[in-house]
Amino acid sequence: MSHPTEDELVDLAVGDDSVAASVSAHVAGCDACAATVAELRRTAALVATAPAYAAWQTPGDAVWGRIADEMASDEMATDDRGAGGGGPQGQDTVSLTTDEPTSDDLPPTGPVRREPATPPTGTVRREPATPHTGDELAQRRAGRDERRGRARRLSVGWGAGLAAASLAIGLLAGRAIWQPDTPVQPVAQVALATLDTKQDEGKATVVRSGDGLDLTVATSKPLDAGDGYLEVWLLNADGKRMVSVGVLAPGDKASFPISQTLIDQGYVIVDISREKFDGSPAHSGDSLLRGKLPA
Amino acid sequence: MHVHDDPDVEAADLAARLRSGDPEALAEMYRRWSTLVHTIALRSLGTREDAEDVTQQVFVAAWRGRHTVRPDLGSPAAWLVGITKHRIADLRTERYRTHRNLQAVASELAASPVTVDDANWAERLLLVHELERMGDPRATVLRMAFIEDRTHEDIAQALDLPLGTVKSHVRRGLIALRDRMKEVERVSSH
Repeated sequence: MSHPTEDELVDLAVGDDSVAASVSAHVAGCDACAATVAELRRTAALVATAPAYAAWQTPGDAVWGRIADEMASDEMATDDRGAGGGGPQGQDTVSLTTDEPTSDDLPPTGPVRREPATPPTGTVRREPATPHTGDELAQRRAGRDERRGRARRLSVGWGAGLAAASLAIGLLAGRAIWQPDTPVQPVAQVALATLDTKQDEGKATVVRSGDGLDLTVATSKPLDAGDGYLEVWLLNADGKRMVSVGVLAPGDKASFPISQTLIDQGYVIVDISREKFDGSPAHSGDSLLRGKLPA
Repeated sequence: MHVHDDPDVEAADLAARLRSGDPEALAEMYRRWSTLVHTIALRSLGTREDAEDVTQQVFVAAWRGRHTVRPDLGSPAAWLVGITKHRIADLRTERYRTHRNLQAVASELAASPVTVDDANWAERLLLVHELERMGDPRATVLRMAFIEDRTHEDIAQALDLPLGTVKSHVRRGLIALRDRMKEVERVSSH
């Protein structure tokens, strides 16, 4: 027989008594229809456990700016290659009149339906209804907060020059824009000094790495592990908590993945300790070097 | 095959614009669905920090992978949620590695992996979102049928609707939601 209708499969899935016996018989012997019934049942089960109150949480305002930054740096990379794939390029007059309200004051949950932007094939960009006056421009330039500034670069940044400018602004603002070919910008850096004599004998650097952070520890000369080994810790500024970051292998430099959350929670004191092979995962108390990362 | 309601047609248009490389389409998608993406990430990962990172990654990935959106499937919300699931899984994997690294000192320490029970937050919150925008009486019919587990006859009586109308809403509604779940699965599993 031919397959039952989708409606009949729903009825079967939800246990409607009116389903004809021939439908159940078909499904019992048909993998495709059985799979559909299973999908429908799984969906119904998920609806049944869906939270009644979703407690929606909007992301922070800065998130869109970071996305726009990455789009802009993509665009610059594309322009460097001179090839397509990255959206409309090089066709926009780089001027503030291309400043579209759409991305200029991005309301994350804004109910207002915006006008569509110029299609990529278009050569004429939609102009604001009224031209900006000089005063207005100055005011707008001055009045923007960081988020707006970066969002604006999205709309005007599709020319290579502007994309480059936005990258420069991003770097000036201390934001390390991640790109494979860009040298990594340290997020934080501190000298590591001996606890007793306060002599600088090393350096700790935090750099952004992909989605997380890397802590790199370098010592000016190899540390003496005695008959044990060296371990790198992040101590909390509250003086009460610490986490082990990893073991510092023989040599004078090593990197460890850490998370921004640790830093945010106050784990900012880098500490290198001498540990014994005693099976205890706790800090030995024998710290060799220490330094506190700047906030 | 499916009857699209207006918001779907509009959302499908958004998917088509994104696919053609319109950055404004991504901004509009962010306005509509960043809260959905962010809430899923927050429930799954627990911290705003991680949730905002994932939100950022999802929309950047959506831009870079815009050729994978399927305008013919209607709203790109499920596509975004699929990407979100993928990113959350990636972050968990990375966390697990870090965690192992943290434990490098004492190998005998019981390796308790970072929690991986995502409790289907992506699917469940997408369903809440879809029900919220589906409109009544369909959304109410579906809630009564599946959350309150009431019979179609009972629902018909309570809402003063013909039985056939209730059944029709259950069928159309469940099929539409199933399509969303399939899209999440398609995107998150590759």
